[in-house]
Amino acid sequence: MACFGALALGAALIATLVILVDPYDSGRFGPFAIRGVADRNPWTANVSRARDTQFDSAILGNSTGQLLEPARLDKATGLRFVQLVAPGADPRGDLAILDFFARHHQTIRALVFSIDQPWCSQAVLPLSKDPFPYWLYEGGTLRQLGHLFTWAALDRSFQRIAIARGARQPVRADGYWNYEELWAPGAKHPTAAEPANAAPFRGKVTDHFPYADMLAAAIGKFPREVAVVLVMPPTFYTIVPVPGTRDAAVHAACREAFRSIVSGRANSNLVDYRVDNALTRDPANFTDLVHYRAAIARRIEQGIAASLRDGQGAKIDF
Amino acid sequence: MLFNDYPFLLVFLPAALLIYRLADPYPHLRIGVQVALSLAFYAWGSPSFILLLIASIAINWLASVVYGRVKWKAVLTLVIVLDLAVLALFKYANFLLANVGLVLGTTLPALDIGLPLGISFFTFHHIMYLVDLKRGKAPLYALDRYALYIAFFPQAIAGPLARWSEVMHQFGRQVYVPGWQRQFCIATSFIALGLFEKIMIADSIAHLLDPIYAAAAHGPLPSGDAWLAFCFSFQILFDFSGYSDIAIGLGLLFGVQLPYNFNAPLRSTNIQDFWQRWHITLMLFLRDYVFYPLVNSRLLPRRFLPVQFFGAMLITMALCGLWHGASWTFVLWGMLHGLAQVVCSLWRRYGPRCPSWLGWALTVLFVLATGVIFRAGSVEAAWHVFSGLLSPLPLERGGQLWPLIAAPLFAFVLPASQDIVAFFTRRPNVVLAGLLGVGILALLIQIGERGGHEFVYFQF
Repeated sequence: MACFGALALGAALIATLVILVDPYDSGRFGPFAIRGVADRNPWTANVSRARDTQFDSAILGNSTGQLLEPARLDKATGLRFVQLVAPGADPRGDLAILDFFARHHQTIRALVFSIDQPWCSQAVLPLSKDPFPYWLYEGGTLRQLGHLFTWAALDRSFQRIAIARGARQPVRADGYWNYEELWAPGAKHPTAAEPANAAPFRGKVTDHFPYADMLAAAIGKFPREVAVVLVMPPTFYTIVPVPGTRDAAVHAACREAFRSIVSGRANSNLVDYRVDNALTRDPANFTDLVHYRAAIARRIEQGIAASLRDGQGAKIDF
Repeated sequence: MLFNDYPFLLVFLPAALLIYRLADPYPHLRIGVQVALSLAFYAWGSPSFILLLIASIAINWLASVVYGRVKWKAVLTLVIVLDLAVLALFKYANFLLANVGLVLGTTLPALDIGLPLGISFFTFHHIMYLVDLKRGKAPLYALDRYALYIAFFPQAIAGPLARWSEVMHQFGRQVYVPGWQRQFCIATSFIALGLFEKIMIADSIAHLLDPIYAAAAHGPLPSGDAWLAFCFSFQILFDFSGYSDIAIGLGLLFGVQLPYNFNAPLRSTNIQDFWQRWHITLMLFLRDYVFYPLVNSRLLPRRFLPVQFFGAMLITMALCGLWHGASWTFVLWGMLHGLAQVVCSLWRRYGPRCPSWLGWALTVLFVLATGVIFRAGSVEAAWHVFSGLLSPLPLERGGQLWPLIAAPLFAFVLPASQDIVAFFTRRPNVVLAGLLGVGILALLIQIGERGGHEFVYFQF
């Protein structure tokens, strides 16, 4: 009896703790309404940010959108942006965050998506073994409660208690994190190399892009006045598709598939930065093949602001 | 359904205990309720093959009834052949087709059939009973009791391989008699210990080793990884020993003492000793139903009896390997263990006395080395692991390697699970019981963190 008593009492205490504290600040639990999280994992921390009503616009995608700074976009556009990128997540994870953001905001003014290579997959990939926490964004109360019976949830609970006591600072509410703090300029960059030769291609690409369909369906639920800017982020020139090859044709087809999502929307645009030019040839502008540095991030932010102002007629300086 | 996952631990098991508690006072309901619970458990885990299990029970039981009436041994022989044929179809057909294709220089189409959960185990349960019936050692049983012997959920999927004589008389006993609390305390201790072995040790090692073996299938391993891969035997020990302990604990909750399957095998001082402590119930089956018949049959003239004896040893161990899976690497693993047993038995008869510490070290090294072949899936992948052992130990990984420090310590120092449980449950102790509850809670949280990983022996 002592064994099962201890087990039942412990389980009841944990259930009480997570219900009272709401470890991830998902809004489902937590009568004390502690504000913010100290969670450094964007996959789970975004649930708190995505329901923060001080923001009316969001940046979504994976880590290739991480360096876009909400504060700079706010200054350039007059909107209130929040960073909701989920590094390493499957596009379906980004769409789950978008859906959660939509459900928690009555007024949404702009959405910015970083459309990188995974979005151009021609097949829906199987979900990874270490899956994105869909339960946190889509699950019902009971499903969510079941997932709070973990060490991670207990850790986040104590973090939130520390925030409430003033013993700990929450992470930035706008979700911005500069990865150059980790990879200082000059300390990490890709190596210049000749792009691989590929066979010329003159055929017609008939590839299908299922993630474009998913995004179209998701964006289609928003009113027409919600501005949407899709950014195809730059990569180091060595992996930019060479013109005249099949890769280039597939990239162009993918771009057009996503362009159709923004066509007809006011103040909306698709900007393709995946080009071979002086900026993308400079190793100093990248930490690796796909993660750009501040100089490029500032240019993209300008492009986003111009698109939100002038739509598809925006002048893009890149 | 996994013993180490929420649906079983938090839904099926409490529900099964509650239902059985209600049926326990009624003797005519006990076995029927346990059969129903066991079939429900199997159907949850393998709905597509539940009919196969039911048919298998019905046909084998009918054969025993017919034999009881007409005393034709051919009936039993025929149904044993049928059992083995069904096992061969599901488990070895594609292996056979692939090898026939190799011989003919062509590729034969593979059959698209899954492996029914627990088929290797319930086939062996049938064989144990029918062979003993044929030998005049076993009585006839009613259908419900026989069905429970085959389908009893704690042991149906991956053992232990309980003999009819060990469990049949226990079925239908009243569980909730004075003193049942102590039995439940022992059962809970076994389950907690088994979960600890599986979740904290085996799964933590698997987390490290799975990517390494996946890489070994494709080429040489990065520096130091081979040393981790070399430790696979610790993973399978704690995985299967954990499963067996949970099964024993579950059996006790329903009034059945299942046989012990492990007895601190990595403390063995020679390979024969090892095989008396590792997967004990399988080895007893192989000894009584394969090895002894091979040794006792007049296959060779009397003067060649040693040849027949050692040949039987090799064949038994090769079959042990083949039972684990349809692959030549399993056969090679079995043959190596057979050879080691031959050498060990000759050494013990003719060789000088070997210090026990040296015998222990050689046994552990041999088990670890053959464990690589068992896990690798191909000789090439195993070779990639062995050749990688020339690189230095990956000490720079530091704290990451804790499972590979804890596992050997537990395996070499601690006694068998049954001795640990006996020690802690000798006298009722409220503090220890409370700590056990806290421990189970921590294990449940760990399951929430990582999810349930399948037991290695589910694939055999």
